[in-house]
Amino acid sequence: MDAVVKFTSQSQGRDRIFRATQYACALSIYLLRNNPERKDLVNKLKSLETNISAGRKLLRLGNTANSIVAVKQAMRLSDRVLRLCITAANINRALYFICDNLLWARNVGLILSIDKERWSINASRCYLYSLVMNLTRDLYVILQLMLQKGRDNHFKQKMNQHLSESPEVAEVTIPELDAFVFLLLETLRSEPTVALDTVKNICDLFIPLDKLGIYKSSAGLVGFCGLVSSLIGILTLARPTLRIKP
Amino acid sequence: MDSWVRFNSQSQAKEKVFRAAQYSCMLLGSTLTKSRAASDLQRIVSDLEAHMSLTRKLLRLGNSVEALQAAKRAIHLSDGVLRLCITIAHLNRAMYFACDNVLWAGKTGIISKLDHHKWSQRSFRYYLFALILNVTRNVYEVCLLLDGEDRCRSTKLSSSPSDVLPDDRLSSSSAVPATSPPALMFARLRRLMGQVGAVLYNNPPLLLDLLKNSCDIFIPLDKLGLYRTGPAFVGTCGLLSSVLSIVTMLHPWLKLKP
Repeated sequence: MDAVVKFTSQSQGRDRIFRATQYACALSIYLLRNNPERKDLVNKLKSLETNISAGRKLLRLGNTANSIVAVKQAMRLSDRVLRLCITAANINRALYFICDNLLWARNVGLILSIDKERWSINASRCYLYSLVMNLTRDLYVILQLMLQKGRDNHFKQKMNQHLSESPEVAEVTIPELDAFVFLLLETLRSEPTVALDTVKNICDLFIPLDKLGIYKSSAGLVGFCGLVSSLIGILTLARPTLRIKP
Repeated sequence: MDSWVRFNSQSQAKEKVFRAAQYSCMLLGSTLTKSRAASDLQRIVSDLEAHMSLTRKLLRLGNSVEALQAAKRAIHLSDGVLRLCITIAHLNRAMYFACDNVLWAGKTGIISKLDHHKWSQRSFRYYLFALILNVTRNVYEVCLLLDGEDRCRSTKLSSSPSDVLPDDRLSSSSAVPATSPPALMFARLRRLMGQVGAVLYNNPPLLLDLLKNSCDIFIPLDKLGLYRTGPAFVGTCGLLSSVLSIVTMLHPWLKLKP
């Protein structure tokens, strides 16, 4: 109970729980959409999803500052590629929050001269760019780790052992592919932080891709991906050792 | 920027900022009604207030657990009166949060048939009890500190009887030849007020907490119909107490302990 209280006392912790709930509702609505007996439940879930989404928009009002601080911290990194990726990702996130805040002001009625559709698309676009930069950073880190691992002697022994055994597996027809896949899996297994971050970013990617119409998937898939990425977010917040650094 | 990020990362801090904004909207709304401003603007302000109120309810969803934990911690206090006041105040807060969660479920449509008025009154009742206990605790602490000061003064007097303390000399010289009981009582009351003022001035956490609770108490009193003051006064009190809470969060040394 103490751990739960400590987790929820962080502003991010609560936001991630609300996000998970929001996408769980979206997924449930999709799964129950054709069930006539559950119409009442579907309406309740829709109302809950709308309310949580509106509440989260209000709660995001100060978050631009977080991204700007992250940009300042990222400028101090030594690795050039990492510095570029993380800075660009955070700048796009800051722009996304600004668009989001303007949309909130429009929804509440404070600013009426805003074109809701256009700013919604702008927000999705900024979010997409920040996710693409995050994924680029993940791929770069994975490549670096794979190169490092490939040079490791202990790993070379393990690889030779793997290649010599089980010749009836289909992948072995292309031994280079098999070696590559083995190296990739071993790298991801030894560095769970990168693996989790990559999965989270890939899941998140479906949301703006669907909203912008670049890759239209079903509401169910968007809900499922959102739920998975929120759960990974909760996990990394509860266990800081699983969080990717920097 | 850094300090804002740190402040913002506390879930409580955001809630207090929105509380301040909500009561500002209430105050603004009542001012606009009085000045007969455009109904559009009034509607925007009241919608904003309702939106913030609902979001704060969403943000408070887990707070019963925190209040119960605080009550568990308070049971271990050494002072009996403090233990009683603080524990029961936290238990009342936990009940208030539970009622608040039910109201949120009703407003979002999860619970379809909910008597909003009944549950709202219930939640304000628990809130009022918690505030009364907090004020009792403040008054008790002031009495303890006054007692301590009196004891301190009497030990000083007993250790050096020839040395008359300046205040005593002043009070004795400026004292009205107290022959009539009302004048005597008035002089005593004035001296007591002075002592209370000095005690509070030397204990900013206690002063802030007392001010905060005194401002807060008008909100449930108005909502329960026990002492109707109107939205302008309630808005001002709510805004003031929110600002005081934000100040205590920014400067943790100003928070009253335990």
